[in-house]
Amino acid sequence: MSSEENIKWINEQFKDTNELTMKTLEDDDKKAELFYIKPLINVELLQQIIIKPFFEMQSETKFIRYLKALPQFQDSKSQEQLKTEVLNGNVVLFIQNKFYLLDLKFSFNDQTNAASVETTIHGSQLALSDNIATNINIIRSDYHQPTLYVEYATIGQVNNHKMAIIYDKEKVNKNALKLITEKLQQVDKQVITSTVQLSNYINNKKLSLFPQLIMTERPDRIVYNLAGGKVIILVDGNPQALIAPVYFFDFMTSMEDNYHSFYISFFLKFLRYTGLFISLLLPGLYIGITSFAPEVFRTELALTIAGSRIGVPFSSFVEVLFMLFFMEMLLEASIRLPKSISATATTVGGLILGTAVTEASLASDIMVIIVSAVAISTFVIPINEMAFSIRVIRFIFILAATLLGLAGLTLALYAMIMYLVSIDSFGEPYLKFNEKKTSKTKAGEEI
Amino acid sequence: MSRFYYYLILINMVANIIASVPAILLHFHNDGAVISMLLSIAAGVLLVTIYTKFFLKYPGKTLPELLEKTTSKWFYQPFVFLLAVLWFVAGLITLITFTFLLIRYLSPEMPIILICLTLILAVIFGCILKTDRVMYTVEMIMIITSPLILFIFFKAYSSKSLNWDFVREAALYINQVPNWHSFSACFFLFLGAANLFIFNRFFTDKQKFGFRQIMFIVLISIGTLFTTYFIPIGFNGFEGINDLVYPWISTTDSIRMEYFIIERVLFMFLLFYLGIAFLSILIHWHAAMEFLKFTFKLEKIKYKDKNIGIFIPLPIFVAISLYFVTVLTEYQLFRYSSYFYDVLVFIFPGMILLFTYINRRMKNEESSPEN
Repeated sequence: MSSEENIKWINEQFKDTNELTMKTLEDDDKKAELFYIKPLINVELLQQIIIKPFFEMQSETKFIRYLKALPQFQDSKSQEQLKTEVLNGNVVLFIQNKFYLLDLKFSFNDQTNAASVETTIHGSQLALSDNIATNINIIRSDYHQPTLYVEYATIGQVNNHKMAIIYDKEKVNKNALKLITEKLQQVDKQVITSTVQLSNYINNKKLSLFPQLIMTERPDRIVYNLAGGKVIILVDGNPQALIAPVYFFDFMTSMEDNYHSFYISFFLKFLRYTGLFISLLLPGLYIGITSFAPEVFRTELALTIAGSRIGVPFSSFVEVLFMLFFMEMLLEASIRLPKSISATATTVGGLILGTAVTEASLASDIMVIIVSAVAISTFVIPINEMAFSIRVIRFIFILAATLLGLAGLTLALYAMIMYLVSIDSFGEPYLKFNEKKTSKTKAGEEI
Repeated sequence: MSRFYYYLILINMVANIIASVPAILLHFHNDGAVISMLLSIAAGVLLVTIYTKFFLKYPGKTLPELLEKTTSKWFYQPFVFLLAVLWFVAGLITLITFTFLLIRYLSPEMPIILICLTLILAVIFGCILKTDRVMYTVEMIMIITSPLILFIFFKAYSSKSLNWDFVREAALYINQVPNWHSFSACFFLFLGAANLFIFNRFFTDKQKFGFRQIMFIVLISIGTLFTTYFIPIGFNGFEGINDLVYPWISTTDSIRMEYFIIERVLFMFLLFYLGIAFLSILIHWHAAMEFLKFTFKLEKIKYKDKNIGIFIPLPIFVAISLYFVTVLTEYQLFRYSSYFYDVLVFIFPGMILLFTYINRRMKNEESSPEN
């Protein structure tokens, strides 16, 4: 193709955008054509490494040799590739009817964020950034192993997002990796903008109550899980990574557990599991005991509870639902509101509503204590997605206690455990104790 | 041995503390119960050892698989079906006993069908889980419930109301002629090892089963039987103990926790023991399901490419349980379960003959693989 044809072709490709810049460099007997999308590239770099040398070089051949030696130089196989590469922030150079690609991408989203969702007191405060290359850089600089393997792919048929699957080739659970890549290939959504959205599509089941991938923003958690043979999925433009396969217990570990001494982290874990059980069972227990079997508690306590319920016109079931419902509303409101207003919402909701409800005897004092205890214990669960699941499951437990009393509540707990054991996350049982032993044997197996 | 093996044995023993076994034992308290217990420990441990050694030879193989290879079809199918019935009934006894317990002590105003249905609904989908998942469920629930159950046993042993003189008096009745019904009831406690018929599928690794493991089982069984029999006597006295319908419930109701928010131990005991009962039913019915799968080839029944075969037995399970829970009285339940235990005493040692037959056939098969 002559250079005119090339120019015509590229103009044809970008005829629907007005952002393509075309520049012709001419000096004595040298000539080059440049194409780029101005907002995507680093203009200073362009001036420094392309335009300036162009005028200093003696001949075109020498300039081509110089271009090929540049670290930004990209091998290009086809004309078709040109289009996507230009959209990715490359500069195309036409010299002597041949094209050369140079990656001069300039991005503003490569600053790392401070950890805001999974905060810890000790340890790194660094979170991932929005830029996939920066994220891989962070992971690689924390995990020094030649076996670390990064596969790139694009997802979303319209927005063509860049995505990376990262794993340690030696340690990875091969069975799970196979399932994950299969699932990723099946995703045929038009636009995928975030890892969270992606996680819903590669989930094993459409209707699953429990999250089957962990979403994390902490590089130390990523490194920890890479070493454990798990697979990390990153999507460009997202400060969150997905980790799979996961076990139930992964959702109950904070990275800080590793940073404390044994007794302290044991204590923290104990708090967390107690919190889990309280937030799941306490409302149900209140219903079961007050409505079905008040003799379970010691007499003094039973009398106190009964006394505090004097004047409350509802059965305990309505009371619990009423208060829990407002608590959930309050939670949602305080998440969605701007920071400056959310403090007001919690004050009005928590303090004023709480006091007013007991004074109007719409709920007992003990109920207010229970609701606050439940709300607080839900926040103890370190991974947000699990906390959301627990909030939903709590209502199932309330239903079981309402219909069938304490025995129903207990059986619901056992049935939930059985359900948790029965589901998998990418071929791995969700809830079991000897995870290390089996994953090792699985990793050694041939697929 | 893998820890999961002990769960199988332990659950069968512990689950029956609260069911009809102590009632049957205490019924014969001055009629040879003690010596029957001792004899059953000897016989039971022997049976457990033989069963375990047999299945260790064929890691990962279930009994129906072995039978399919070695016996002809006219024997294999009715026999496996019989096993399914036995296992179903074993689960059913625990289910009905627990339903009666719950209605009597926890929620007397609730209809009995509803209570029974709750228990069944909680368990039933566990029956169609994979065997390894059943094992993991067992472990999880054991870990949650066992600390409290152990604590309650500790409270029972350390309680001031436990009068050791009654225990000594009861132990003096050792010199009597052993009694058939008490022997068979105790013997049933050891049949947890028979769950290996199906659960051996889980034990694919090479295991060790030697003197130490056997001694461990002996110790567990002595501990369980001693607790089952003597603790209610220690609390309630030797005379008139056979009048109690649920000796263990009356016993736990005598224990108080003075400084805790729940004063009566009975409720904690009931709710946590519900976990053990849940597991016991789960294990038995899972095995029953698997036996049925082998008999009727349930996986092959399909409707619109969906495997519905394995769901067919579930409504039948529910219907039979609901029927019996409404028909039976507590007295009948004890009498019939006692007969059931009597029958098992013949069937399970008889299986050893079958094992030797399988061993011989398997040896032949190994020496001439082309047949």
